[in-house]
Parts: sequence; structure tokens; C-alpha cells
Amino acid sequence: MRISILVLVAVVGATPAMAQTPTAGSWRDAVQRLRTAPKARAARPRPHVAATLESIVDESEPNDSVRTADSIALGDQARGVVNPPGDVDTWFVDLTAGQFFSADVDAQELGSPLDATLVLLAPDGRTVVAFNDDFDGFDSRISYHVPTSGRYYVMLSSFGRIGGSPQARYLLNVGLVTCTAVGTEQEPNDTPGTATPIALGDSVTGEMCAHDANPVGDVDYWAFTGQAGTTIELQVDAAKRGLLVDPFVALFASDGTTRLAFNDDADGADGADPRLQFSIVTTGTYYATVTDAVGHDGNPFPYTLHVRSIVPGPGDPITVRAENLGFPLGLAVGSTGDLFVGDVGGNRVVRISGQGPVTTFAAGIPNPLGLAFDASGQLLVASLDGTVYRVTPQGQVTRFITDAGFPFWIAVAPDGRIWLTNVLDRSLRRYSAAGRLEAQFDGVAIGGSGPGPLAIGPSGEPYVSNFTEIWKLVDGQFQRVFTNGLLIWAFAFDVAGNIYVPAPTVGRIQLFDGTGTVLSDPFAVGPDAPQALAFGRDATGATVARLFATDPLAGRVIEMNPAGVLHPGLPVGYVAPPFTLDAAVTSLLGGGGLSAADVQYLDALGNHNGRFDVGDFQAYLRTLNGLPGSAP
Amino acid sequence: MNSSRWVFAIMAMPLLGVACSNDVAGGGPQAGSLTLRLTTPHADDGAMTFQVSGPAIDNATAANASLRLFTRQASGSTMVGAVVGALANGAVVTVRVPDVGAAASYTATVLEVADRQDALRTSLTGYAITVTR
Repeated sequence: MRISILVLVAVVGATPAMAQTPTAGSWRDAVQRLRTAPKARAARPRPHVAATLESIVDESEPNDSVRTADSIALGDQARGVVNPPGDVDTWFVDLTAGQFFSADVDAQELGSPLDATLVLLAPDGRTVVAFNDDFDGFDSRISYHVPTSGRYYVMLSSFGRIGGSPQARYLLNVGLVTCTAVGTEQEPNDTPGTATPIALGDSVTGEMCAHDANPVGDVDYWAFTGQAGTTIELQVDAAKRGLLVDPFVALFASDGTTRLAFNDDADGADGADPRLQFSIVTTGTYYATVTDAVGHDGNPFPYTLHVRSIVPGPGDPITVRAENLGFPLGLAVGSTGDLFVGDVGGNRVVRISGQGPVTTFAAGIPNPLGLAFDASGQLLVASLDGTVYRVTPQGQVTRFITDAGFPFWIAVAPDGRIWLTNVLDRSLRRYSAAGRLEAQFDGVAIGGSGPGPLAIGPSGEPYVSNFTEIWKLVDGQFQRVFTNGLLIWAFAFDVAGNIYVPAPTVGRIQLFDGTGTVLSDPFAVGPDAPQALAFGRDATGATVARLFATDPLAGRVIEMNPAGVLHPGLPVGYVAPPFTLDAAVTSLLGGGGLSAADVQYLDALGNHNGRFDVGDFQAYLRTLNGLPGSAP
Repeated sequence: MNSSRWVFAIMAMPLLGVACSNDVAGGGPQAGSLTLRLTTPHADDGAMTFQVSGPAIDNATAANASLRLFTRQASGSTMVGAVVGALANGAVVTVRVPDVGAAASYTATVLEVADRQDALRTSLTGYAITVTR
């Protein structure tokens, strides 16, 4: 299970980060681009180091190992050169438990060609307790809370240990980090009760600095008054100053504990800097928090927080339909309008009936991902364990498709066929309504991380996201529909062919027409990190102009403002054919009467051999729950 | 015919009927049921179409509740049907005929068989339906 969760986190969490680099390629390519790209070098914030400069210490080669390490003390500045290529310089420093140690390299900043990396070893001389490649441009820095007194070792080398030359000089500053209030913030401001007051329209400054033992590191709270009907935006500037840092921003309700919205990385323009929007429904005090992804042992860095009001989208304000759902990801709407949501961490599917309570519909499904209803009205659930499960209306769970690799997203076409994306081999697969693999389409060529999220379009063709683009499959060939600058997750069509797109990295929903022309962006900014969209259905099963989304990081399902939803949703899943069972029987038994399209439809339900036969009839009966022993 | 003669005729008809049904040795037609028994080489048959022909067929029913039968009267002497469910060796369909004494005149043929995953059998070798009283 632990491995499973890690895999999921990798897919759910890491993929967006990958997708924010629109150019395709491996992470190694991305690293290379990062390393070779010219960086905007803003004025470098000087680290807060407690000691004044004690002395300058030159290295003494050989110092390539713990055994031959040079001595350095807190407050000293070491001076050396990484030469020849592959050279490693090792320094030892005696530290005391409780100290917040800092080792900071200046090389690129001084014009040196050295791209340094730093490693901090524990007193045993073997255990790596901290590592840093780049912090200030290519210059490394380590900040480390010392747990045990002893002699620690700082090893400095070039990145990959492939560089080095007589010009690869550096300065290594060692000392203690001190955290003091910087800029507008008033430390301590680590709780709602100590939040620094601000107002809408302010741009305030502070510093991330892990001054205490809080494992998440520094948390800066900022309090402001939000007026109902206002849509606010919180934006943090830090990485764009040239520091390799990754701050988070979050919004908390008046109770100080209910998280309303969260963002890690916004769009490409902001890089690793976060930005979120939220529509305020109730007037009151709200709390913005800024934290650091690295946490307890992160390097201190300054930031600016902008708190502003913005124009909301037509889908705002949102309404929370259900909360405390764990990690709700997949979403499907049943034939009577109930919402079915996969709780990834809870290994269950929950049912949200009208305005009623949330109930567990099916349990024991490991890490449910995509959801869809099949032609017989049973719920298909793609699971992290590689299985597609089928759940009867009574909640009985059986394994259904077991040869799908790693099925993530799933959809059912009007003809009852099942489509799913296998993220293991990056294919789009088609199964018969009975769960038999019919065809698979290699999706590597569509680039990005696709094929990923999946929906059936107006013409019955499958559309997939490669995470920044939407493609459709036409006659077995993928065709790009449009490119978006943001991450695209589980989108949904309305009857007019417009596409509602959740963009989780920026916490908003966008609306495009069928060609990718923006109709409304944002459509809604109220969601935190929306992942899957679905239109509602009424008691007769007809889709309606109500749009729902899962919001996993907030553990909730939300509904957009229905006044802003232009059209009812495109009917999803199986569409009952316009002929009767008697007509199908007559045709099967030689009496004719069905159109060519009907015959083709029935064949597609079953064995797809080009004609309507008894196997297809059996499949058709199954869709009607008409097999012996089926529930009527 | 006056009313007393109507009464006599109505009362006499059952007696005549009884006399006829008991008149086996007399060689008259006896309505009743025939059983279609399937022989299959597979253990996972899910659906089958078949044809049964003979002098006359009144109607047909599935042999047990685990099967579901659909029929179409192709002509006065031929019925085609589809039976769906967990098919196995043994009785699958019961047909009602006007004269069970003519059982030997009835023949049945397997037309198509699908497994329980909807795949059509490519060969019907080993399949047969026999008609028994």
C-alpha cells in the first residue's frame, strides 16, 4: 500500500510539475535546459548568518575525503578551487545540537564557472544528512537543524563531478542561520492568533525561515477581511527572484483551520511561485499562509505576498456539495443524479445523493481513480492496483478488467464500449461492453504525459489530454484539438460541444469551444485544485446545466454557479438504442427489421465481427440486465 | 337447436374429450411436450440459437429457470429460438406439440453458439440437439 500511494502521488503530484514545462522531454532534458538557460539574477538576498566573519581559510589539497578534510569553524569563510575535473573538497566543522547550520557557496555570483553542489555528512562520515545543488542560481546552499552534537563534513564538488578547472574558484561561508522578522511580517506569526494583519490590495514582504522545530518549517500567517461576493487572488513572488525555492500559498477560513484553497506552482509565467484565486461567500476574517515545500531544513528566502481582488468567472461562486471526503479524485454521475466519487486514500467510492448525507457506496477498491457507468448501469472503477472493478447498483464489487496495465481514466461511449487510458504503456484502449480488449492505440506520439484524462466527445469519439493539450482519436489516428498553457485534467463536454477544463495548478476552471477558442477564462476561480468535472443529471437521467468538480486537496466536491453554466452536459455513457428487445429478437432469429446502424450498434456491443449474432445478443441482454440471474 | 340440446352438447363434450384422450390404443393425436436436449463440447456456453422443425409446434419454454428463451415462428412447421444462460449438456427447451406421438418427426439444429464472453463459436462440431418425449 505504501508503494501504491507513492506511485499515485508520483502520478497525481509529479505529473503537473512535468506538464508545466510545455516542451516535451525527460526530466533530464528539463534539468539540462534549466542549467543552460540564462537566469534572471535579481539582487541576491544575503543569508542571515549569526557569526561575523572570523577568518578566511584556504583549502589544503588533498582534501577529497572525510579522512583528509580541512578544518573550518562557524563564521569562517573557506576559499578553494575545484580542480582538476572531478575534484572534491571536504571540510569539517564541529556543531552543537540545536544549531541551525548554514553552508553557503559563492561561485557563479563571483564570476566563477563552477556549478557547485554541496553535501553534508553526519559525524559518522558516511550518512548524507543534507544536499543541495542550486539555490542562488547555480550556487549551492545548505541549511540544517543540527540534531546531534559532533563533527560534520561539508563536501563541495562540481555538479555531476564532471566539472573543474583552475578557474573554478569558490567561497564557502559557514555559520548559523538566524531568523528575524523581515519586511512587513511580524514574527512570530506562525498561527492564526499571531497573524500579521493586511488588507486587500496590499503587497507585503516576509521571509521563510525555519526558526523552530516545526517539521513543516516556517509558516507565515497573514490575516485580512474578505467581503462576501469578492473574488481574491493570493500571489507569492520568490522563485522569480532567481532563487531555486518552492513556496506554497494557502487560504484558510475564519476558524483558522479550514483550508479553502491551496496552490503550489502556478502557471509557467510564475514558475515555482504559487498563486490562487478564491470567491468569498461569507464576509469575515481570512488567513493567507505562506510555507516552503522543503520544510524544516529549507534555506531561508524572502518573498512578497500580493493580496488583491479580481473579477470572478461566471461559474463563481462555487458551492461545496460534500466535504471531508479524503482524497476525492474520480467523479461520475448516476442515472438518477447521484454523484459517485472515488476516495483514493480511503479505498472506497462514496455516493452523494441530492442534498443528503454522503454514504459509502463501495468499499475495498484499492485507490480508486477514474469512474464511469457502463452500459448495464454498473459503476466501473479504475484502480491503482491495475484492475478495473465493476460495482453493481447494490454496491457489490467484482474484478472486471484485469489486462489494462495501469488504467487511470475511464469513459463509456454511447455504444457501450469502454475506453481507458493505460498510463503504464501510454496507450488508449478500447474494450467491449463485456470487458474484452478490442483495440489499443499508442499515445506516446501525442507527447506530454498523455494519454491521460479522457472523455467522450459529441461524435462519440474519445478525447484525451496529454496534460497540456487535448487530442481526439479519429479513425484510429490522434488529432490535436487544442493546446492550453495550463495543466488539463478530467474535462467535460456540454451539448454544444464546449469543453470545461479543470486547471488544478492554478486552481481554476476554464471554458473552451470545441476548437479550443477560449470562451471564459476563468470560468471559475473558486476551486482549490479541481481534478475531475462532470455534469449533473436529473431523476430521469437527462444531463442538466449543473457542473460539479472534485477538489482533492480540499477533500470536497463542489458545484459551479449554475447560473453561469451555458448548456446542459453532453449525455455521458451508454445511450439506449431506439429499438425494442422484441425487435432485436426478431432480427436475430431471421425476421429482419433492424436498420444497418442498429445492427452495427449491436455488433459493437458484443463481439464486433461485422454482423449481429447470438454473442452480440447476449451482450445486449446484459446491458438491459436481462441475462438470467440479473437484477431486473 | 333449442336450449336443452345446447345443454346436452356442452355436457357431452368433456366426456367425448376424455374418451379421446384415453384412446391411446386408438392412434389419435395426443398433445404434449417434447424436450430438446443439448449436447455440447464446451463448459462455458452462454447463448445459442437453434431451429426446430416438425409437423406442428404450438409454443416453447425454457427447460429451467436459469435459462431465458426467445422464439420466433418461422413457419407452421419451423420455430427458431435463442436460449441464453449457463448452457450445459441436457434439457434446454421444452416444446408443446399437438401430437407427441409424432416426436420422431421433429428435428432440431444448433445454428449459433456464443461463449459467456460473447465470442461466437467458430465451429459447431460436437454440438447436437435431440428431441425426446
